[in-house]
Amino acid sequence: MDLISLYPTWYEPTVGSGWVVALIATFHVLASHTSVGAAMLFAYLSHKAYREDREDLLDFVKKYGLFLLVFTYVAGSITGPGIWYSTTVASPNGIGALIHSFVWKWATEWVFFVIEVVGVYMIVYLVGRVDKRTHMKISVIFGMASLATMLIIVGILSFMMVPGKEQWFADGGYLNGFYGTNTFAQLGMRMAFMFTMTAVVGGIVIAGIKDPAFKKEMARKLGWLGIISTLIGASMFQWYLTSVPDQALLVMENRLPDYFQSSIMIVLAGTLAYFIITMLRPQMIVQGFAGAMTIIILVAGLWPEETARESMRKPWVAGQYVYSNQVIGKDVPGMDIKSQLPTIEKVGILQAHPFTPDHLKEVNDGNKIQAGEFIAMTYCSNCHSPSETGIRPLHRYFPEGVSQERVAQYVKGVLTTGNIAYMPKMPMLDSEAEALAAYLVLNNDGGQAAVTAAIDTEIEQRERALAEQKAQDTVAAVDLQEGK
Amino acid sequence: MDAQQVAQVTEMMYALRNPAGIPTFPIIFIGLGVLTFALHILFVQLMLGTSAITLYGAFNNNAYWRRLGAAMLEIAKVSVSVAIVVGVAPLLFVQVVYDPHWYTSNVLSADWVIAFIVILILAYWAMYYYYFQNGKNQDKTVQPKSRWSMITSLILMLVVGFIMHSLTSQILHPELWKEWYMQNGKLDYSGTQLHAYNIWRYAFFISMAIPVTGAMLVTYRRFKSVREDADHDYLNWAAEVGKKWIKVGSVISTVLYVAWMATLPETAGNFATSVWGILGGVAVIGYALWAQLRLKGEARFCSYMALPMALVIGLVVAISREMLRYDILNGFFNYNFMDYKIVMDWYSTGLFFLTFAIVGGVVLSYFLTIAWKSGQTVGVYTPGATVNKLGTLSIWIVALWIVQFFVVGFYVWAQ
Repeated sequence: MDLISLYPTWYEPTVGSGWVVALIATFHVLASHTSVGAAMLFAYLSHKAYREDREDLLDFVKKYGLFLLVFTYVAGSITGPGIWYSTTVASPNGIGALIHSFVWKWATEWVFFVIEVVGVYMIVYLVGRVDKRTHMKISVIFGMASLATMLIIVGILSFMMVPGKEQWFADGGYLNGFYGTNTFAQLGMRMAFMFTMTAVVGGIVIAGIKDPAFKKEMARKLGWLGIISTLIGASMFQWYLTSVPDQALLVMENRLPDYFQSSIMIVLAGTLAYFIITMLRPQMIVQGFAGAMTIIILVAGLWPEETARESMRKPWVAGQYVYSNQVIGKDVPGMDIKSQLPTIEKVGILQAHPFTPDHLKEVNDGNKIQAGEFIAMTYCSNCHSPSETGIRPLHRYFPEGVSQERVAQYVKGVLTTGNIAYMPKMPMLDSEAEALAAYLVLNNDGGQAAVTAAIDTEIEQRERALAEQKAQDTVAAVDLQEGK
Repeated sequence: MDAQQVAQVTEMMYALRNPAGIPTFPIIFIGLGVLTFALHILFVQLMLGTSAITLYGAFNNNAYWRRLGAAMLEIAKVSVSVAIVVGVAPLLFVQVVYDPHWYTSNVLSADWVIAFIVILILAYWAMYYYYFQNGKNQDKTVQPKSRWSMITSLILMLVVGFIMHSLTSQILHPELWKEWYMQNGKLDYSGTQLHAYNIWRYAFFISMAIPVTGAMLVTYRRFKSVREDADHDYLNWAAEVGKKWIKVGSVISTVLYVAWMATLPETAGNFATSVWGILGGVAVIGYALWAQLRLKGEARFCSYMALPMALVIGLVVAISREMLRYDILNGFFNYNFMDYKIVMDWYSTGLFFLTFAIVGGVVLSYFLTIAWKSGQTVGVYTPGATVNKLGTLSIWIVALWIVQFFVVGFYVWAQ
């Protein structure tokens, strides 16, 4: 059997499937990290409320909790499976690799997730309906359960960059895949970041506090939390960079824009400045300002980090063995996983793909553009949009008027051999390389309109040929009946 | 379809399996998938039914319906949350053993898969908007404001239900996947279409909201009736509505179930008249009979049994549903989920079951006890020594779990 595990391709022409995943993931990280950080803050405040017999702290917990319930729990709990949904359609083998290795870890997280959801309702709705000691206990359990969800997911996230231990490739095993330097560095970084987010989002709740003294107290508490966690987070990021593969650093140096480092520094300085200002002048924290700063600081802080992580792991999408184009590009003896490259080299990508239509299994003059488009969608579209817009559009990589021979030479010399560090090796038969080149040139020169017109012509010719063939067969059958 | 076509489809499904295999026996994933689906669909049905009551109450001038609508809104909000969180589990398990089917179905309708997320968030926020507009009303009999937002919420919930129904229906048609990938002779990469549905199947699962919500009303009466400030006339009225809903709703659902069975694809063979096919329908109509026999008069104990019984009925239907899937994929296409490659991992398997039983069991017992008791108490609830100890134990258990995470992690890291 020469078929490999490749699914149909989903192609979103406006922004590209990669951006759809990124948008949902960023939103989810925003909501979920804030939830975890706030859960631990609630535990602390409820404990303090119990010890010092204070109603105002519990009232703050209730207000912040209700805010979280509506905005981050609702959105966070939906965008959580939403990440599965978006990666399922954009990168099925990428998410499949994670699910199949870590299904029980996700199931374990689910237990804590159930505790979390029940817990947040109880924290919000039981203020004043149960005694402070019980509320404190619920908050502590809730805070720790939230932390557990973070602990669990971070090992899976770090596997996307690199399996925890090198021996996972040779020996397999869940523990080798889950735990490693990258796991703990990322854990430290994310924990720090989630407290920063908690402090920033908390500003929205602080804005609603009427009593100036209490407002000042909470602004200071959250301000210190924000300053300390931001500084720790920055140092954790440096540690994180030492735990990624050399290849990832190389990609980061070459592929991330020049302004990346400086923009990170600006975000860092801006965040610290915000906390210092709000600590000194808490009266500045009003709803609109705090809300705007939340969006600015969190998105500006989160987006570059998530983008960097996504770019750095190229050409892989999971575990350093699944390429971003969904092909398995490396043997993993410990899991009895074989690279799919030899199969593709032997039969070609069109024969190896389970969803190749029968009439495209072999390239000929009547299906070249369709075959080329199919190959581009399979091999390229995860990282390069074939349309005008979207993620790293293909047309930007070829000069106008480039010849088909030149592109074919590039495909055969560079892509099929895997000669670019951050791009997967993409084996193709010569006929397939020619088809891809023909498609790329057409897409480059005429865009999607030219491609669509060419494909329509190919389909028309094929249908005509089929109709003629059918007519000839009918005539032959009649002749046979009449004994001619 | 001839034998060669069937063989090609089967070969494709096997090729799509994930080469990493699965970390324990497939039947365990299927079992957990069925169980958690039954729980998930119960809360989905509760969410729909209680939302419908909220709306009916909002448009009805009767004071009891108004009060009931306001009370059911509280249950609807929590039910959406629980339905989502419980729904994560079957979503996880289906992509472990049915990954070729689930992933293909989703990719072919990708725009709808993404829309699902957005629509569900909007539906949930619309419900909260209605709550914030009316939740603080002390008098629950006044006409609520912003009724449009509750209508919007319910409609959007039904839309996401239909998307999910369609995705699961597409799983059952591997013979059509390649055809769906081609539209008018061209490959269609857009994922803009939902390709399969069975309106009777969808209507059946939605209609089960009627008896399930009936069970909730009966339980509501029982739960609230022990409070010192209980209005027994109102609660008894609500329970009578609930009993009627269980009986009438079960009959409606049974009719729709039969319609679903009558419209199964040819690939399902004789499933409709098989033991599993019949059992699902018998269970649903059996709920009406159970209610007729066991919910007479006061029926105090059996009032609390109404919801667990609804779960049992749902579980039987979930098993039938799974058997239908197995019947089509295995019976017709010879795709056997039981022969998935196993790369056994005892550690993570054991950790999950221990966490589920010990951490989940103890903590949720504590949480639900507190929620239950405080709901039945007028004023502030202060737990006794036993419940307090359960709380302390819960804290220690979760703390120990976190400690083991780091101990095992640092040990592996240091190796």
